[in-house]
Amino acid sequence: MSIEVRNLSKDYGQQAAVTHINLQINTGEMVAFLGPSGSGKTTLLRLIAGLEEAKEGQILVDGIDTQEQTIQERKVGFVFQHYALFRHMSVFDNIAFGLEVRSRKTRPSKPEIKRRVEELLRLIQLEGMGDRLPAQLSGGQRQRVALARALAIEPRVLLLDEPFGALDAKVRHELRDWLRQLQKKLSITTIFVTHDQEEALAIADRVVVMNQGKIEQFGTAEEVYQRPATPFVRSFLERSGVRRGVEEVAVQAGVI
Amino acid sequence: MTTGNRKAKDRWVRAGLLLIAVLFLGIFLIVPLVAVFAKALEEGVSVYAAAVAESDALAAIKLTLLITGIVVPLNLIFGLAAGWCIAKFSFPGKSFLLTLIDLPFAVSPVISGLIFVLVFGAQGLLGPWLDQYNVKIIFAVPGIALATAFVTFPFVARELIPIMQSQGKEEEEAALTLGANGWKTFWRITIPNIKWGLLYGVILCSARAIGEFGAVSVVSGHIRGMTNTVPLHVEILYNEYQFVASFAVASILTLLAIATLIAKSIIEERSHVH
Repeated sequence: MSIEVRNLSKDYGQQAAVTHINLQINTGEMVAFLGPSGSGKTTLLRLIAGLEEAKEGQILVDGIDTQEQTIQERKVGFVFQHYALFRHMSVFDNIAFGLEVRSRKTRPSKPEIKRRVEELLRLIQLEGMGDRLPAQLSGGQRQRVALARALAIEPRVLLLDEPFGALDAKVRHELRDWLRQLQKKLSITTIFVTHDQEEALAIADRVVVMNQGKIEQFGTAEEVYQRPATPFVRSFLERSGVRRGVEEVAVQAGVI
Repeated sequence: MTTGNRKAKDRWVRAGLLLIAVLFLGIFLIVPLVAVFAKALEEGVSVYAAAVAESDALAAIKLTLLITGIVVPLNLIFGLAAGWCIAKFSFPGKSFLLTLIDLPFAVSPVISGLIFVLVFGAQGLLGPWLDQYNVKIIFAVPGIALATAFVTFPFVARELIPIMQSQGKEEEEAALTLGANGWKTFWRITIPNIKWGLLYGVILCSARAIGEFGAVSVVSGHIRGMTNTVPLHVEILYNEYQFVASFAVASILTLLAIATLIAKSIIEERSHVH
């Protein structure tokens, strides 16, 4: 599903969070919102999910204005930074939740739910772990459960807030490559928020660089890296030394 | 000073502190507890049983249970609503609401009772108007329920607010994005996450509702068999020099207090496991 953001603004009291955002994301694309903390990237993601209400502007998913829809109707798969797994439910029940809460008419049968959850457990390589509680899993496993839970409702778009932020470097690399493959396989329109330049440039088709609630640049990893649109983009990439390492990453990701 | 010396000194300090704690507990808790039961059973079990089963005592027990049955569900609903508002949303006047919730802790219970007399009493603000419709609040059951509700309303809310605040609202948000409506989110996510805190708050609230004296004393009117709660009945018996009966009824409250403590520690243990 394509996502179009038109002139979107949001503030928290006096403080502007995002101002006049315009954005066009294509079907099946994987886009990264990249920026320092406080740049408004998470707010923008939450606005698209419907977790925040915009002051002005529109968000269209497949040409349909989402302002008219409730958060339940939007069918977005949202993965939270700290996973937000239901701590009192088993892994199985967590993944099944989105199917279980459907109204009687649209709810799949019990065996059907079981089949789908088991399929998802296979997908996230946690077969046979359905009975565990979230507290008994490692960080990487929890993240995969959160992803499976979001995918269970067959979302139209997948939104991830700092999906690898709480993981150690090795797990982070494995998981992000795995996520990229999965996203390609399912060809689901995906947005993820990150402050890690290398991560954004490595797996995203296109990158939105944000600063102080505004978009500084929107382009492919190659464009952002080779032709920074603003001094901010240049200094932001240089500060982390990404511009030195980016070539290697870009080669891996098949950009160059 | 050698290490051995210091160790010996430490031991003495520790023993001294322990002794003070034990003495304090003994004088202020254990001795009165034993005294209540000793006095109550002074003239034998049959006298004890008769005092508890006496009709005014039974009426007092019934009234206390009725009041608790009214007040605890009310404060449960209020506490949940207040906890939910304060923990999950930010709005102007939030800190004012928090202060308001603490008000009954700060105000003397007798004053709390007086407030209701001033509002609903015969000479009170709404008294004449209520009188027209023949509604009796003060010196009747509604007044006792109101005063008790006021005094006990922080218990559930105060218990829930920190729990709900520390849990944040991400799990609820996750449930919403997964298609659950507000009602399902509340019953399937919010309630299971706070159940132990909720139970703990209800137990504390019940204990206080059963034991409340000051506020109830002002609004009750002390009509035997009608508007006397258990704590008031204990006082009346005591003032009439019926010591054995007084302590016998008091022992029921004491047993309830002990049961509350046991329930509290079980819940605390459980909530740490989960």
